[in-house]
Amino acid sequence: MRRIVPMHAATLFVPALLLAAPVCRAQETPREIVDRVDRMLRGNSSRGDMVMEIATEHWTRSLEMRVWSLGTAYALVRVVAPPKEAGTATLKVNDEVWNYLPRVDRTIKVPPSLMMGSWMGSHFTNDDLVKESRMIDDYDIAIGFEGDREGVAVWEFVLTPKPAAAVVWGKVVEQVRKADLMPTWGRYYDERGNLERTMAFSDFRTFGSRLVPSVMTVRPADKPDERTTIRYRQLEFDVPLTPDFFSLRSLQERRAP
Amino acid sequence: MTNAAVRPRDSLPKTLRPGSRAWIFFLLSVRNVLRNARRSLLTAAAMTFGLAVLLWIRALTDGAHESWVTGAVRIGTGHVAIQAPGFARSGRLTDRLSAAQLDTAEAALRAPDVAPLIRAIAPRLEVSGLASSAEAAVPARIEAVDPAAEAVFSSLPASTVGGSFLAPGDRLAAYVGVGLARRLALGVGSRMVLTAQGASGDITGQLVRVVGTFQSGVPEIDEGLVYVPIATARAWLGTPAAATTLAVLLRSSYATERVARAVRRRLPSGIAVLAWQEAAPELASAVKIDDWSGYAFLAILYVIVALAILNAVLMSVLNRRREFGVLQALGLTARETGWVVFTEGVVLSAASGILGIVIGLSVTWLLWRHGMDFTALMGSGDITFSGALVSPVIVPVFRVQQVLFCLAATLVIGVVASLYPARAAGRIDVAEAMKFDR
Amino acid sequence: MIQGVWWRIAWRNLWRNRRRTLITASALAVGFFGAVLMVALDDGIAAEMVDNGTGVLTGQVQLHAREWRKERSLYATIGGDSGTDVAALLARVRAVSGVAAAAPRVWAGGLLSAGDRTEGVVLMGADFALERGVSRIFESFIAGGAPRERSKELAIGAELARKLAVRTGDVVVVVAPAADGSMGNDLFRISGIYRTGLQDLDGAFAAMPIATLQSLLALGPGRVHEVAVGLADPWAAAAAARATVASLGAAGHRDLEVAPWTVFSPQMNEYVALIKASNGLVVAIVFLFAIFGVANTSLMGTYERRREFAVVRALGVGPGGIARTVVYESVALGLLGLAAGAVITAPVMVWWHHTPLNLAWLFGDLEVAGALVRPVLRIEYGADGPILGAVGLLVTAVLAALYPAVRAARVPPADALAGR
Repeated sequence: MRRIVPMHAATLFVPALLLAAPVCRAQETPREIVDRVDRMLRGNSSRGDMVMEIATEHWTRSLEMRVWSLGTAYALVRVVAPPKEAGTATLKVNDEVWNYLPRVDRTIKVPPSLMMGSWMGSHFTNDDLVKESRMIDDYDIAIGFEGDREGVAVWEFVLTPKPAAAVVWGKVVEQVRKADLMPTWGRYYDERGNLERTMAFSDFRTFGSRLVPSVMTVRPADKPDERTTIRYRQLEFDVPLTPDFFSLRSLQERRAP
Repeated sequence: MTNAAVRPRDSLPKTLRPGSRAWIFFLLSVRNVLRNARRSLLTAAAMTFGLAVLLWIRALTDGAHESWVTGAVRIGTGHVAIQAPGFARSGRLTDRLSAAQLDTAEAALRAPDVAPLIRAIAPRLEVSGLASSAEAAVPARIEAVDPAAEAVFSSLPASTVGGSFLAPGDRLAAYVGVGLARRLALGVGSRMVLTAQGASGDITGQLVRVVGTFQSGVPEIDEGLVYVPIATARAWLGTPAAATTLAVLLRSSYATERVARAVRRRLPSGIAVLAWQEAAPELASAVKIDDWSGYAFLAILYVIVALAILNAVLMSVLNRRREFGVLQALGLTARETGWVVFTEGVVLSAASGILGIVIGLSVTWLLWRHGMDFTALMGSGDITFSGALVSPVIVPVFRVQQVLFCLAATLVIGVVASLYPARAAGRIDVAEAMKFDR
Repeated sequence: MIQGVWWRIAWRNLWRNRRRTLITASALAVGFFGAVLMVALDDGIAAEMVDNGTGVLTGQVQLHAREWRKERSLYATIGGDSGTDVAALLARVRAVSGVAAAAPRVWAGGLLSAGDRTEGVVLMGADFALERGVSRIFESFIAGGAPRERSKELAIGAELARKLAVRTGDVVVVVAPAADGSMGNDLFRISGIYRTGLQDLDGAFAAMPIATLQSLLALGPGRVHEVAVGLADPWAAAAAARATVASLGAAGHRDLEVAPWTVFSPQMNEYVALIKASNGLVVAIVFLFAIFGVANTSLMGTYERRREFAVVRALGVGPGGIARTVVYESVALGLLGLAAGAVITAPVMVWWHHTPLNLAWLFGDLEVAGALVRPVLRIEYGADGPILGAVGLLVTAVLAALYPAVRAARVPPADALAGR
């Protein structure tokens, strides 16, 4: 068993189909909608505080974290609470990942070949984190359903992987509210049509001037009692961050800047 | 007693030259042997039977060893592996053969003194990575191969459980072990993503579809090995026309030393040539140990044969006392009597030994040249030994070395078994001998 | 006529032809020697292989929680989440007959990092004092030694040390997911570097004191994954496993899997079975040769002794009596050969058993592999070698005499006496 922490935080914390408010041109094709999001993401910087709760069959944990991100290439996450793990931090720059462990005051560079298993014990896998940012490149998007679900007007996008795309899912279905273009859920299927996991988005709040789902929950299909929930307490966009900030020194600092 | 030896002009020992005297004794010995057909045949039978069986055993033992070695090298890197010098230790993509180095190596393998000994050449790109499906992700050893070459080279393409092996021209295909397929919940046609570090250091993913699954019986192989086409891997990892190993399968493992030497001579020092004994030292040890215990076994059997021959020749001497007495009365010295007996023994042994070797070789070849089936002994199916698959059918291997060894053994036995009787013959007292009626 | 007479006649006949008797008896003795020796050698090879296969790390019997073997889950400790009284469990296991030693182990997957190099490893928590009777891995240190009890020290393989570019005394970071979901991490000092010659153990394996690993993984002191057992006689593994199950069942430990090496190393078991099967073949070949040799001599003797048989027939003995003489001679010869065989075999076996032949010289610089596959030719004492040998020898003696006996019985007395 080789476990390590894979990180592509930007996309984790700023889900791909997240849209900022004003523009809702219902005439846009799905591809255009997603593409627009992507363009916005690339130049985007953010800083936030969040809580991650993980429930597995053996334990339950809750972590408070502070996160910074710049586009899809840079991310820094630091655990703030509980005290036992406070100071643990992860830095991602493109495809390289480092972990800082405050207890031993050491930084470990994570070798790419060991990018397996979950991040921080959660149900997010490396696949989710990497592939989110490339969803547009890897999937063909079509509208599977357009209409009302329980009184809410939604689209359900069906994403099918392109022929040579290096993704494991056979199909991904995402439901997005037409009114504010907020995602409500995502379902990941294997090629045979078995549901493997579900992502649910809820508690839509405005941070700064953007509307985001402040709660994201992942549930594995084969273990219904287990889940990982991320809850944003605070999220700022367009903060003054440069790539220099995402350095090993920042990783090791114990104080939050 | 015939008058073979009693010719007037030859009967006076002192006037004869040594050369022709020796010839006479030889003739005498041969005729003695032929005269008492039954006795000679019985004596010969022991030697003939013994040597035929010994050769059969030796051919099968060598065949078994060959089968172990072949089984192991077909799953591994062949009898001879050509690699970049650091690769055997590091296993990293950075230690690979460039396109130019590959060309040089392949040219060296086409040389006339080497090419006829080669059965198959398989280029491979080997990396460690991750195999993932919607179900799970597991570490895997990824072997990128040339489907056509690999089908000949390795035994795994034939160990298919579902689907089929990679076909030439396949691009996004993978051939995986049943253990891996089970852990990732893969069937034929399932999608799988392989992740590994490419030549530039970046992690990259590659989509493949399972076209077949195999079972080798070795858990590490069944749970951790993925075959993909080498063209796909080269594009994926950014290593055009490169390979980490050029594996060579020979027609016989006994040619390994020679081929390795010949190839090494032709290649620059930046390319390493490894013989299978270096890649699988435990197997080399096992074969050697088995060989030695086999020789110990044969030695014991030879001793038994020698004792049987000794007995037979001695008996024949003790029953011909009158005959020797008469010969000595006619002028044969005690020493010469001894020589006659000695020559009889050696001639008989040599003749029957050679016959035994011929019979052994022919019978083994005729009946079992396609292999002897040991399934009854080995239970059902293949077993693994030192990580190699051993099939229960063993094809005998005939080596000149072994035949020469048997010939030498025949002579030695003949000589040793005739010495004592010769001495006994020499000690026959003429007067006493006349008391006997034979 | 009285039975005893035939035997005496047979015995005397043997000694009348002393040289022939001695040589034939020697051939039979060599046959016996050969058969017994080959079987002992083969058993020795099998024993060496089992010893190498189980004595380095795994032990001959292993105890686990029933679910552990499937996924080697961190949580599948013996006794479940609440663990067990390890000392009591060990004591119970040691009390089983045939058990020489038992050692508790904790297993986890993790990372070792030094400088900017990181490698994935299997982590073993072990009681190094108790391991001595179970595994040999901690006796092959090439630098330093085993970690001290409860210390934050680590023993790693030579290949791993090379990959991380560390030496004894250096400090490395160990990271492993803990049982409470957190990332267990700590600094460890390398106490020693070992070399086994096995790729996996030398390149991706690290051992630390069991209590230290338990605390790193947030496991209580009663939680272990495995108890490995060393036996006095590896061949008694299946029986020892059964006895252990019985003993532990009585103490209330259910839900435990107790597996002998024959179950958890099935391939080794198959190979051993193959060796045992071929023993019979070896003995058969040896005695085939012996039959031939003896029959040969016996048959020749029949022809040479026609006169003698004729005289005996003339004295009133029937053909059955002649045949019986020949057969009894052969049996007596067989017994003689057996006695001689036992005399030459016993000292050689004892000597070889105590001084196994080290074939290292034959393999030159294969020293690394030699650390594990010791190229030692040794023999094992066993009952089946001598028993097979003795049976084979006597059967040989009887079979070899059958045809000559028949021929001897058919010697026409008058003609033979007349010299034809």
